[in-house]
Amino acid sequence: MTSLRLDCVAKAFDGFELGPLDLAVADEVLAVLGPSGCGKTTLLSLVAGLVRPDAGTISLDGRTLDGRPPENRGVGLVFQDGALFPHLTARENVAYAATDRDRVTDFTARLEIDDLLDRRPPALSGGERQRVALARTLAADPDALLLDEPLSSLDAPIRRRLRDELHDLFATLDVPVVYVTHDQRAATALGDRVAVLRDGAVEQIDEPDAVLDCPETEFVARFTGCENVFEGTVTEGGVRVDGVTFPAESTQPPGTAATVCIRPSRVRLNAPDTVLAGTVQRRLNEGDDYRLRVALDDGPDLIARVRPSGTLAPGDAVGVSIAAEDVHLL
Amino acid sequence: MSAQRRLFSPRFDWLSLTLVLGGLLLLYYLAPLASLFLAAPPGTVAASLTEPTVVNAMTTSVLSATLSTLVGTVFGLPLAYWLAHADTRWTNVVLAVVVLPLVLPPTVGGVVLLTVVGPNTFLGASAAAVGVPLTRSLAGVVLAQTFVASPFVVVTAKAAFEGVDRTLEHASRVLGMDRLTTVRRITLPLAGPGLLAGVTLAFARAMGEFGATMMLAYYPRTMPVQIWVSFVSLGLDAAYPIAIVLVVVSALALIVLHTVASNPWQ
Repeated sequence: MTSLRLDCVAKAFDGFELGPLDLAVADEVLAVLGPSGCGKTTLLSLVAGLVRPDAGTISLDGRTLDGRPPENRGVGLVFQDGALFPHLTARENVAYAATDRDRVTDFTARLEIDDLLDRRPPALSGGERQRVALARTLAADPDALLLDEPLSSLDAPIRRRLRDELHDLFATLDVPVVYVTHDQRAATALGDRVAVLRDGAVEQIDEPDAVLDCPETEFVARFTGCENVFEGTVTEGGVRVDGVTFPAESTQPPGTAATVCIRPSRVRLNAPDTVLAGTVQRRLNEGDDYRLRVALDDGPDLIARVRPSGTLAPGDAVGVSIAAEDVHLL
Repeated sequence: MSAQRRLFSPRFDWLSLTLVLGGLLLLYYLAPLASLFLAAPPGTVAASLTEPTVVNAMTTSVLSATLSTLVGTVFGLPLAYWLAHADTRWTNVVLAVVVLPLVLPPTVGGVVLLTVVGPNTFLGASAAAVGVPLTRSLAGVVLAQTFVASPFVVVTAKAAFEGVDRTLEHASRVLGMDRLTTVRRITLPLAGPGLLAGVTLAFARAMGEFGATMMLAYYPRTMPVQIWVSFVSLGLDAAYPIAIVLVVVSALALIVLHTVASNPWQ
């Protein structure tokens, strides 16, 4: 069983500090999620040997990578825009470092790029370039696969399709995969575990559902799409924010201060078990759902994500209900 | 309102003035060249091209410029690669040293070279003792030309190396190729046109080198030296044929710079 380990790895430059980081990635997909500038790309550069760490040890399959040049690490890195060699055809790119011919034909078939092989990179679309880049990296038979925001510059339909394919592809690989992204959906969709990185430090590392449902910090909550974050006080069977009380399960004694996190998709409007009242302030049609801003009577403004319905418009009074298990306290 | 005014009263565009002023300068470049070709009847030029002095000068120039370009390339490309990749403040100092021969008057370049390779210096005397005099010899011409022309290789190649996306070199390394293989398969092909431009510029500069060459090696005469000698001893007409040859060499260099030496990937 292969595994990639980082022990106390630290790197400082230009006033930015990454780490010290401890990470262990088994034969799984670790999605590293964080805003731009949080150190995600630096993390990959350290593992790939493009940047030298100030401290710490990186090992792969029990052998240390410290001091080894990039070509001698057995690590594959897929760059953000593919980094295809522009003077070579797609075929020559894939074959550039291939260990054998079969791997080339195997991955060009699996990534469905057989028809593109005679083209040069400028004649490829963004999605096609990433497919070629992936095939090129995998044909070199790496012991660990690193991906640096491979989908970020693609149009939404292509991005979704390639994300699905990456999911299936990762399942067939028996090497550690580190997938770096600022896109929460890609991170939770592809990661067996998600590490949320902030200012060079891991804020939380957990399975996708746990990161989404039980964020440990306000930053993790907000960055993973929990838009309703309030300061409140624990009461008997609930939590009080301004003049309203949300149902909540808390182990803390009443009177304790708590941060309340409620995902917009968990807010229900005009349901039979309505407990709170408010007024719709704004409605955005986001396609699959409406994003509504609801001002609670005597309470904070709440963001709700509900299925499109023509009956709710700004100015309408609505009943609001939230289940206790959907109210997460920090 | 203002858009309407612009529509009905065409205003003076300063862009046309830049063309008028620049056009005068352009004429100043082209008129003497045209005049040179008109002043020298093709028949006379063709006939004088076979004269021994002209043939000798052409041979010396082509041979020495080729050698000095070769020396400049063999030593200049590694230096350019280092300048483009080294992550140290010293690159600025090194670059200043490389540019020095470019800004130094060539005759001064000749003077400083003579203090190192002149007949009375240790280096010059030792070399002469083993039969390779460094002045008044082809070696002297090559030394002078290398000093003046090789910086073109370094400066142009440095820019060409820097024009290669560093991510591509990183990609090659991470794919398992060492630095030398990466240079051979990625950096050189992508920087190739820029490198060729540097080599071409250096060759053209070497062909035209006069000042430093005069100080180091009056003999064997290169084409520029022969032009000067012909002009001083026989007058302007005698200088025409070689001058025309050098104009043609310059034109060829320009053609190379604008065709094979321009980057198809940018």
